[in-house]
Amino acid sequence: MIARARAWVTARLGDPLAGARRSRLEAFGAIVQLTRPRALVLVDRDRARTLGLDGGALWSDPRRDGDVDGAPLAAPLEAHLQLTNRCDAGCAGCYTGASAAAGAGEWGLVEWSRALDTLAAAGVFHVALGGGESATLPWLGALARHARAIGLVPNLTTSGLAGLDRLLPIAELFGQINVSLDGLGATYGAVRGFDGFARADAALRALRAVKRDIGINVVVTRANFDELPAIFAHARARRLSEVELLRWKPAGRGAAVYARLRCTDAQHRALLPNVLAAARRHRLRVKLDCSYTPMIAHHDPGPALLAQLAVYGCAGGDHLIGAKPSGAITACSFAAPPPPRGDARPTVLDLPSYWHQPDAFGRFRTWRDAAAEPCRSCAYLTQCRGGCRVVSAHAGDVGAPDPECPRVVDFLRRDVAFGNESGPVRRRLPVV
Amino acid sequence: MTRRGRILATKWGMNPNSSSLGVDVTFLLFGATAVAMATPLIGALIRWRRPAVTPPPSPPDASSES
Repeated sequence: MIARARAWVTARLGDPLAGARRSRLEAFGAIVQLTRPRALVLVDRDRARTLGLDGGALWSDPRRDGDVDGAPLAAPLEAHLQLTNRCDAGCAGCYTGASAAAGAGEWGLVEWSRALDTLAAAGVFHVALGGGESATLPWLGALARHARAIGLVPNLTTSGLAGLDRLLPIAELFGQINVSLDGLGATYGAVRGFDGFARADAALRALRAVKRDIGINVVVTRANFDELPAIFAHARARRLSEVELLRWKPAGRGAAVYARLRCTDAQHRALLPNVLAAARRHRLRVKLDCSYTPMIAHHDPGPALLAQLAVYGCAGGDHLIGAKPSGAITACSFAAPPPPRGDARPTVLDLPSYWHQPDAFGRFRTWRDAAAEPCRSCAYLTQCRGGCRVVSAHAGDVGAPDPECPRVVDFLRRDVAFGNESGPVRRRLPVV
Repeated sequence: MTRRGRILATKWGMNPNSSSLGVDVTFLLFGATAVAMATPLIGALIRWRRPAVTPPPSPPDASSES
């Protein structure tokens, strides 16, 4: 019986007694990485000590014990590396403004490998590789192998429209590969501006034939919102491992069509129950990107539960960093690089020194002190951090509350009791 | 007596998305009770695993192809 139970668990999660763990010391305790099941586990100092870890001087302040959010982490959890801005697809809303010609000063294998060394030495756990279309890079496999060799897990997003022949033989090097699929059939064209569904779907099938951890990335728009249940069904039919939903960001070419394609307020409010229902019905894991945290908080699942699940709003310049094709470091992939220091902007290679600068990443790190109402008195501020900075910047003030947060919308309308002053407004998650 | 300490948070999965931080919200289907039940299992898993030994970085071969 026990042997059968262990075989069942091993088939789904990997052998729970096999594998090794990486860890990183933090002022609050430590972060421990599990590879099967895949998880980053944040523990306090006492739990870290039971694992043989000792923070030494890093643990000198007893007030920081267990306080995950009191200050930025010791290093990012993950880095989003835009390896190239070259891509032939020409999507109408590309947030990087990618084109068929590579940008000036793009890094190559040697520079990106040095960047990975820097990230690994800092204690970063995962890297997400993207573009442009990174699958067309002839050295992508060498870079992924290097990441594995130094203890980093490389993950990849691809359009599936190019580079598939190169990607299939190296797919196993990656932890998770997701294919961007913003709609089924004609909806794909309505979002992206061209008919690429058949090619992207063929890439999904080919990748799934050689690897289990394949998923779909969906940029949610008002054009494909109603199709989300069908996209989950499609993912299930393709035997994929997850669906990750991304909010449309007003960046790159996406800024020009933002007003036309961004979701309505009603869609934002309906997102969470709809996707949880679809995930349950089709037995698929669902991920929401950081910019959707206000739409999760709207349903009031409780700040403690979101903290336990490490659900964060804007974690740019803290839990994550981005890097442009030139290596320039950014708070997130949508953010502009920080101003030059001396002759040049800081790159990933400068992370160890730049990370600890008091003004590093500007307004991305000042949410603790600079939050305006209704965020200031919102019970979810620590988790949500004011919502998406990129959307706020597009609306005119990078430090302002996310203007599409349902709580902010209600607050500004002043026609709905907000509830911060008199206790939380309980909107129970629907039973789905 | 050594205190066992707390698991503060668990971030599930790996994020392949290079534009934003994706987080697994599937647990919201089951609520705080499921999270509370999973926490001791996670504690056991991180205790059972051996610490990883990561080799020092070595320079890549610039002529490498995929």
